[in-house]
Amino acid sequence: MTATIDTMQRKKRRHSLRTRREMRRAYLILLPFFLYIALWNLVPLLYGLYLGFTEYNALGSSPRWIGLSNFKTFFSVPEYGTLLWRQIWMGMLALLCNTVISFILALALNVNSRIKGLFRTAIYVPNVSAVSATTAVFVALLNPLANQGLNKIITALGGTAITWSYSQFWMVFWIVLYFVWQRVGPAAIIWLGGLQGIDPSLYEAAKVDGANFWQQVRFITIPGLKFIAMYILLTGIIGAMQMFDVVMFISKGNPFGQTDVLMYRIYRDGFINFNLGMAGAESLMLGIVTVIFALGYLWLQKRSDDE
Amino acid sequence: MRKPAKILSKAIWIAIMSIVSLLFAYPFLYSILGSLMLKEDFGNMGTLLPMPEVVTLKNYAYVFSVDGGIAPLLNSLQRAAWYTFITVTMSVLCGYVLARYEFRGKKFFIISIIAAQVVPSVLTLIPSYILVSRIPFMGGNNWMGQGGHGLINNKLMLYLPLGWGSLLWVFLFTQSMKSFPRAIEEAAEIDGCGFWRMMFRILLPLQGPIVAVIAINTALGNWNDWLTPFLYINNVADSTLTAWLATLTSNLQQFGDKDYPKVFAMATMAVIPPFLIFLFFQKYIIQGIASAGIKG
Repeated sequence: MTATIDTMQRKKRRHSLRTRREMRRAYLILLPFFLYIALWNLVPLLYGLYLGFTEYNALGSSPRWIGLSNFKTFFSVPEYGTLLWRQIWMGMLALLCNTVISFILALALNVNSRIKGLFRTAIYVPNVSAVSATTAVFVALLNPLANQGLNKIITALGGTAITWSYSQFWMVFWIVLYFVWQRVGPAAIIWLGGLQGIDPSLYEAAKVDGANFWQQVRFITIPGLKFIAMYILLTGIIGAMQMFDVVMFISKGNPFGQTDVLMYRIYRDGFINFNLGMAGAESLMLGIVTVIFALGYLWLQKRSDDE
Repeated sequence: MRKPAKILSKAIWIAIMSIVSLLFAYPFLYSILGSLMLKEDFGNMGTLLPMPEVVTLKNYAYVFSVDGGIAPLLNSLQRAAWYTFITVTMSVLCGYVLARYEFRGKKFFIISIIAAQVVPSVLTLIPSYILVSRIPFMGGNNWMGQGGHGLINNKLMLYLPLGWGSLLWVFLFTQSMKSFPRAIEEAAEIDGCGFWRMMFRILLPLQGPIVAVIAINTALGNWNDWLTPFLYINNVADSTLTAWLATLTSNLQQFGDKDYPKVFAMATMAVIPPFLIFLFFQKYIIQGIASAGIKG
């Protein structure tokens, strides 16, 4: 009796020794990495919360607390609202086109064929290429001269040359086209994974029950892809609301700021105009709107699940 | 009757997909052909694509010259290698500990990994820059972080920042440990294998595929990340290939001398390594997106 209690206690002590050693090792490994990442991310995040309430025009001096003044400017000068709204509609347009086109491409690639790999490579390679390395081609293609770039093809076909950068429509068109060209690959692969993850016996059972093609899509494919769609749109919203590199390289906000977006303005206020306090306030506004959009989307998704 | 119809529909599918693929490849073809031209010839080129009358490698000679692209090229390679090393190390060690050990605060670590993934990066863009410029005792700064430019324009900025996006790979490794048999670790422990030896001799090789997913995606991501070096460094010798290309592409839209072929040669050099990695390791890249998708 005493012997068993004794071994049990020894076992317990050995066990707790082991847990203590594991605990020490876990902290020893996790803390340095997490503290280092917090230093580079959490500290700037908190500093950014403060920055929005200051006036700060040059590096080297110190930010001066001015309370809500930057936010008052943000809401009273109509330009900021316009830029935020344009960020939303241009970002959402690009995201919507990307989601639909990637889904069509995924349907087209959801077949058994050896040549499929080649097509998949072709649509994916733009995504592993840097944005800064591929936009130069688009700049060359959009040359306004009649004998240059796309205009050369247009005039060869009998059309008149287009001065692309004078038209808001064309600039938005090319920004969205570039966005889709660059980002359609991963979205298509994720859709494809979802399509292939649906149990094929479901379709066979539906066919036996006499379901037509659209009924199969409605009751098997769409419910089966719900999580995939949620993932693509959720990550897409965060990306689209911060899209500025495409704008910066392809349109520079032209014509006359008609394709300018808030994220690009934040970049310019921060790194070119050194209006750092205002840039901080704009960042907070865009960050809050992005999070609201993402949460709103999640809420809609959840509500449609509950129904 | 059924068979010819099937062949016909397959032929149409191949035709359509070939056209789509060509459209996707068009900018690359344009860039490669353009890079083989003389600057003077670029104005009068073919209708559909730039057709070099005189093929020249002059632009590539520039990319590999000492005052041309060789420094940024090497910086790009070193930067990608460094971040791959640190991310793999972090993911394996932290991922293992989070999957296997029981300790107080474990939940906090896991939740903070997930929460970090939804913070928009716009929130840290400007404040990071200010804080980096005000690091004390660096770049002429006093102990208050004033008077100098901190780490701005310092080559260290190619290697120091670690974004919290990288924590996603820790999470991925933790998940992959769930299907890894504990018996292997227990057997190794009974044989007297220590923690670090087990990590590097047993876990790393046996978890090869997931480590490859992390390594390849990190390498590609950092090679293509032009923004960080572009913001913090503005001299060519300390910059990276993709960051310098951002400067060159921006300059193309300004008035003045435009050397498209040179930019295209540089761009082609920046695209070739990721392209080759994609060709040989697409399995891991695709698995990376797929497993990131499971999270959502």
